[in-house]
Amino acid sequence: MRIDKCFFCGSPMYPGHGTHFVRNDCKIFKFCRSKCHKNFKKKKNPRKAKWTKAFRKSAGKELAVDPSFEFEKRRNEPVKYDRALWTETITAVKRIEEIKNKRQAKHILDRLKKSKEIQKAQDIREVQRDLALIRSPAAGLKRPARDMDVEEEEEEDKKPIVGVAAMEDDLDTSITISATKKVKKLAPKRQRAKIEEIRDSDQEMEEN
Amino acid sequence: MPGPYKRKKYHYGDTHLKKSWRTKRRTKDLDQIDSDLQPDQLEKAQRNQEIDFEKPGLGLFNCVHCAHDFINEKAFQDHIKSKRHKRRLHALKTEPYTIEESERAAGMGSYVAPKKRKMETCLPSAIQNGLDIQEITKKPKLDDAKNQEDRDGDAGMKE
Repeated sequence: MRIDKCFFCGSPMYPGHGTHFVRNDCKIFKFCRSKCHKNFKKKKNPRKAKWTKAFRKSAGKELAVDPSFEFEKRRNEPVKYDRALWTETITAVKRIEEIKNKRQAKHILDRLKKSKEIQKAQDIREVQRDLALIRSPAAGLKRPARDMDVEEEEEEDKKPIVGVAAMEDDLDTSITISATKKVKKLAPKRQRAKIEEIRDSDQEMEEN
Repeated sequence: MPGPYKRKKYHYGDTHLKKSWRTKRRTKDLDQIDSDLQPDQLEKAQRNQEIDFEKPGLGLFNCVHCAHDFINEKAFQDHIKSKRHKRRLHALKTEPYTIEESERAAGMGSYVAPKKRKMETCLPSAIQNGLDIQEITKKPKLDDAKNQEDRDGDAGMKE
């Protein structure tokens, strides 16, 4: 009695499960289920199907190279039954399995750690690239020509904005607040401008 | 019941695909081709290239990579330029998946990643030597004539 490994997906095949295919060069291919057999018939590459062990190991998703894998092997050496040896191997198998599981878990954790660093770098890059969505790059460049009083007030306002921009984390909220402030201050200026225009036009009418 | 009998198969679906997946029509796998492409195997095949009347082009214009026979040199040269051949060369660039690798992937031994290598088309010796197919086809005819004579005298049996 032997627990075979599936040729395609690498999962264990317990007695009474799966199918064998013997190729015309005497090589035996074992498949755990019809899904794997069908894929083999279609000549699919197991390294490219994401659900196989071959993919997971070749892509570095799972622990691939480790001395703990060297124990389970097909040795083709008949061993005479020995009770002491049997009990010893059973205990060894359990211990090896324990160590292997621990290492595999560590491998996954290490990968997660790396992904966190990558994610952080990506976030920073995104903020730097799309800063224009929060604060227009043209903000503060254009100065209104007319009301000098308003301009002075604006200049006073700008200083805190620059200070806040240096801090990365509190960027969003502070800028929105300052933006709203600006709008409030700009509003009366526009009104005044309109009024002046109207007066001008009135004068022109009178002259005519 | 009037009209034609309706239980006729109008929709063939993908039966043609399933036919091609049958073991009867099974073509060589990539790992088999890889073993054919080993230098010693290639040399062996090219040295004793035999004339096979069962195969197209007497088995002289054989593409090792695609495991396919062609009828003449022109067909072979056209095949080399084709997309099918180039795709196959690309697939053979990485070492093919084998039973041993499947066992290693399943946890029996450490996984060894497949290596990449250079792949160039191997020309059959008939093309390398510039053999003319008409000359070759003449020869076996003579042999056949000899054989027929031999059969009468039971000389063919000894051979």
